[in-house]
Amino acid sequence: MKRRLGWMLIVLLFVSAGAAVGQEAEEAAAPETFAAPVVIVSVGQSAGAQQARVLAIRAGLDYVFEQRPEFSILEGSQTLILVMGASSKGLGAAGVDIDGEIAWAIDMVARARELEMKVIAMHIEGGARRGSTSDQIIHAIAPLADYIVVKGATPGVEWVESEEADANADGLFSTIAAENEIGITYIAKTLDGVEVLMDLFEIEPTE
Amino acid sequence: MARRQTRLPVVFLLMLASLAVLGVADEPLSHDIRPGYGVTDVRWLSDYFQPLRDTAGDTPVYILEGEQSGGVFLLLGGTHANEIAGIMAATLVVERGVVMRGTVIVIPHANNSAAKQNSGTYNANTPQWFELTTARGEVRRFHYGDRRTQPEDQQPDPDTFVHFPSGIEFAGDEARNLNRNHPGKPDGTLTQQISYALFQLAESENVDIVVDMHESSLTSSLAYTLVCHPRALVVGAFAILDLELGGISLKQEESRQEYYGLSHREFGDRTDALAFLIESPNPGQEGGEQAPDVINDPRAPLSTRVHLQLTTVQAILSNHGLLEGSGDSIALSFPFDLEELVGADLGAYLR
Repeated sequence: MKRRLGWMLIVLLFVSAGAAVGQEAEEAAAPETFAAPVVIVSVGQSAGAQQARVLAIRAGLDYVFEQRPEFSILEGSQTLILVMGASSKGLGAAGVDIDGEIAWAIDMVARARELEMKVIAMHIEGGARRGSTSDQIIHAIAPLADYIVVKGATPGVEWVESEEADANADGLFSTIAAENEIGITYIAKTLDGVEVLMDLFEIEPTE
Repeated sequence: MARRQTRLPVVFLLMLASLAVLGVADEPLSHDIRPGYGVTDVRWLSDYFQPLRDTAGDTPVYILEGEQSGGVFLLLGGTHANEIAGIMAATLVVERGVVMRGTVIVIPHANNSAAKQNSGTYNANTPQWFELTTARGEVRRFHYGDRRTQPEDQQPDPDTFVHFPSGIEFAGDEARNLNRNHPGKPDGTLTQQISYALFQLAESENVDIVVDMHESSLTSSLAYTLVCHPRALVVGAFAILDLELGGISLKQEESRQEYYGLSHREFGDRTDALAFLIESPNPGQEGGEQAPDVINDPRAPLSTRVHLQLTTVQAILSNHGLLEGSGDSIALSFPFDLEELVGADLGAYLR
């Protein structure tokens, strides 16, 4: 009986050790990494791109920023970050030509691919920046990216921030990421994007 | 003849009475604002544009000058006099604010004519007055005003209001909306003259930052928004991320070219200042509310709305200082932690 128990313990140890190794392997499968220099642009002309610029500054990223640049800005850069979000119409804005904006962004991504650049799609203004126009942009642009960063709830994890801060309440970003096999990071606060950028671009924190 | 003699004094008295009434109507409205130790000078808006004197559009301008030199900040409340969080935030700065560096110029009632009476623009059940009780138990009364200049001070409304100088057309009653009249016009309507005076002030005082404090309905997409002139977007983005860390989630909107007449567009375009507009949610602007409680509604108590306005102002000022350098920085403080305001009895923080 004692010998049997001993074997069971050994087996259990092996199983749990194997599981631990497997978990480590999963954790070790770090998210895709990206290289600088980076070009940050807006798709939808919301102020989210300015906030992404602040995240880049705080992360110490080598970047250039322009709301809606010429494609030539891409030359010499390694990564394109597209910040998605349509400017609110609540302010009485005439609004942007959304079809033109999306077409421009798709062409921008195509040019980036020609230059062998990687592409990150960010949506960092939360649920307040969802809505039909923003969603058109998300549906068109997010699937083209190599990686998605979204301010919203991780599926299956309780969201503790305010409801309007959750851009993934309906699972749109999770679905796009799953269907297109794109890596995704969920953040609870916009400022968490600093750490995400540091991880993605392997930036060491400075003193 | 004898009959005419008896009538003359009566007519004369009636004329005098009418003049007296007219005189009162032309005087700027007074408010219960009690300047604190931080106020170093009190002026009138008409000091920057003399024709405004003795009109309903004149309004007090409070100056809080710090001991150390720095930038100049213009804080506007009461552009829309029914948006009371901005008025009370400005009042709190005048009564309790202290400036260590730079200069803060506060106008709690930017459109003082609008403050005279509430016509219930969004909700007919909103009050004419609201009351706050100080820590000593004194009840203080404040006007709950209107969105626009009073019709008696500027009439008639045109069929279509044509903004000067853009030529953009608005509905006729927007001729009395200060936040459609910037940058104003010296020989224009009262509302245009108020705006013109504000721009004269901004220019002559070399204002670096303008913040215009507004409110929207609870359900409006504008609630919890910081509108930034394009030149102010980076400072605004830094401010918004700081606020988020403190648990305040604001949307950031860029002031677009087509926002003619609005403060965040015109101050940014026509002066050197970085221009911002803050929107907090006011239950009194919710059309369907039968008995809107503009002070204690748990969804948006006045003290919490004032906290939102002032915390946003502080985030703008601190990040402006960080980005522009200490030479232009502005340091405003209060003898209490602004966080205390959340859900508190606002009157307890007034003088």
